[in-house]
Amino acid sequence: MNPLFFGPSSHPLYGVFHPATGSIQKKEGVLLCPPFGQEYMRSHRAFRQLALLLSKKGYAVMRFDYRGTGDSSGDIEEINIDEWLDNIKTAAEELKETAFVEKIHVIGLRLGAILASSASFNIEIDKLVLWDSLRSGLAYDEELQVEMKKEGDDAAFNHIDTNGTLHFNGFPLVKSVRDDLQKLDLLNSPPQAEKILQVVSKETSCSRAIDQAWSSKPNYTYAHAPAPGNWNYVDDFGGILLPQPVIQSIVNWIDNS
Amino acid sequence: MREITLKIGRPTPLTAIATEPKGFDPSKPAVLILNSGVMHHIGTCRISVRIARELAKSGFLALRFDFSGIGDSEPRRGTASFAESSSAEITEVMNYLEQKKGIKKFIVYGLCSGADASYEIAKKDPRIVGMVQIDAYCYPNWQSKLIHYAPRILKLDVWLRFIKRILGTPQPARDEEQIDAENIEMPSYIREFPAREEIAKGLQGIIDSNIHIYNIFTGGMLQTFNHSKQYAENFSDVDFKDRLKVDFYKELDHIITSPEYQQKIPFDICLWVKMVSDKSSHI
Repeated sequence: MNPLFFGPSSHPLYGVFHPATGSIQKKEGVLLCPPFGQEYMRSHRAFRQLALLLSKKGYAVMRFDYRGTGDSSGDIEEINIDEWLDNIKTAAEELKETAFVEKIHVIGLRLGAILASSASFNIEIDKLVLWDSLRSGLAYDEELQVEMKKEGDDAAFNHIDTNGTLHFNGFPLVKSVRDDLQKLDLLNSPPQAEKILQVVSKETSCSRAIDQAWSSKPNYTYAHAPAPGNWNYVDDFGGILLPQPVIQSIVNWIDNS
Repeated sequence: MREITLKIGRPTPLTAIATEPKGFDPSKPAVLILNSGVMHHIGTCRISVRIARELAKSGFLALRFDFSGIGDSEPRRGTASFAESSSAEITEVMNYLEQKKGIKKFIVYGLCSGADASYEIAKKDPRIVGMVQIDAYCYPNWQSKLIHYAPRILKLDVWLRFIKRILGTPQPARDEEQIDAENIEMPSYIREFPAREEIAKGLQGIIDSNIHIYNIFTGGMLQTFNHSKQYAENFSDVDFKDRLKVDFYKELDHIITSPEYQQKIPFDICLWVKMVSDKSSHI
């Protein structure tokens, strides 16, 4: 596990590179695209576990933070979606150069799945995993607003301010980013990859809509791996922090498909 | 300002991010930013990143690192308690910065379990000159109980909930999140507050070692801590001299989701660190 800063020196990105450690080196890399906000915080351990398991299977793996998030440079108020899509490309190139691999697989969780899908038009992706994906950026925005209403007075700082910035559980999404997100839609612009897996911890109307739209595609696979899947809720066990069935399902598909 | 990654210690290194100011001065204290629970080194709502960058702007080196087994640091073997292993690992980080950078004075910052770890190391290591804690050890007293319970006495729903609890009426479970325990494999930190007398003794030792303390309390544990004078009441037997600052933000939650406080807290910590740095410059 090697932490590093990469990308342009004026706007460095933080990543963690997991070299392949298995007895058979696959000469393939896996890039992990995280979700946003508290979902990012909650997925950190699961991503680490996923990276470790894949590296043991012989894959070189890169986790990273988009600009304005995590350890990467910048403030969230300064970013735009195009920059995040560029970040995915930069991270994929860094992974290729660091691990000397040509073939890249990408795994995106929640908002990360939508971003990875959009980035697939600029990166050559072999296998693409959409984990608990939403169908569009608009659906994501709407879901956050529903959650805000549900939490009510328990989350006093959740609101949309006069500038149109959506503040949800301590993380702001500025108006321009929310507007950009509305342009991202998996059903209108299906991702490009040799193989695509939609894996869900819980079936929803969104996962079914994607499945219905893509089920006839020969390169598409659907998997339901029951596990805690509400990324806006942590139970007493911390179940969402390490949803093993989904992680195992992804590792198996990447390694065996 | 620049940020670099560090791997500290062997054979299983700790992952750290150093935020270095322009014109680094090793005579100033460095600030060590600790994990909160199992949250990785960016801190709740990215507050640790904000604090580190604010400090670097004011000329202080800040170092965020993950304890072993948390965030981007791999687990280490051993049976040490959190209090023991966290102190050992903070010491390791200080030794590294002393050897590599010539830094001899440190300030430790932590929220929740990070506050507990700050307290433990401040008791032991003479290089510590300051300690910032968010939601540190504190204890309910008659004043806090009065503040908490008095407004509830006349509320019908509070009494109904109380009666249900006494009668053992089952509460509905959140079925969608019922999960198998076998899916869970998490490091855990169960926060237990030691006896007040023990903490009072520890705090007196810390103050007598010329260490300054800045305590910030949120409204995240109002049943335990709910008024600004409570810390002084809790530890009226400790002579804090002029080395204690306490802020209480009743409206703020434990994980600092407020955009306003996400700006204010790093700024206030930075001002306080400057003060401590000035006062400790002759040491």
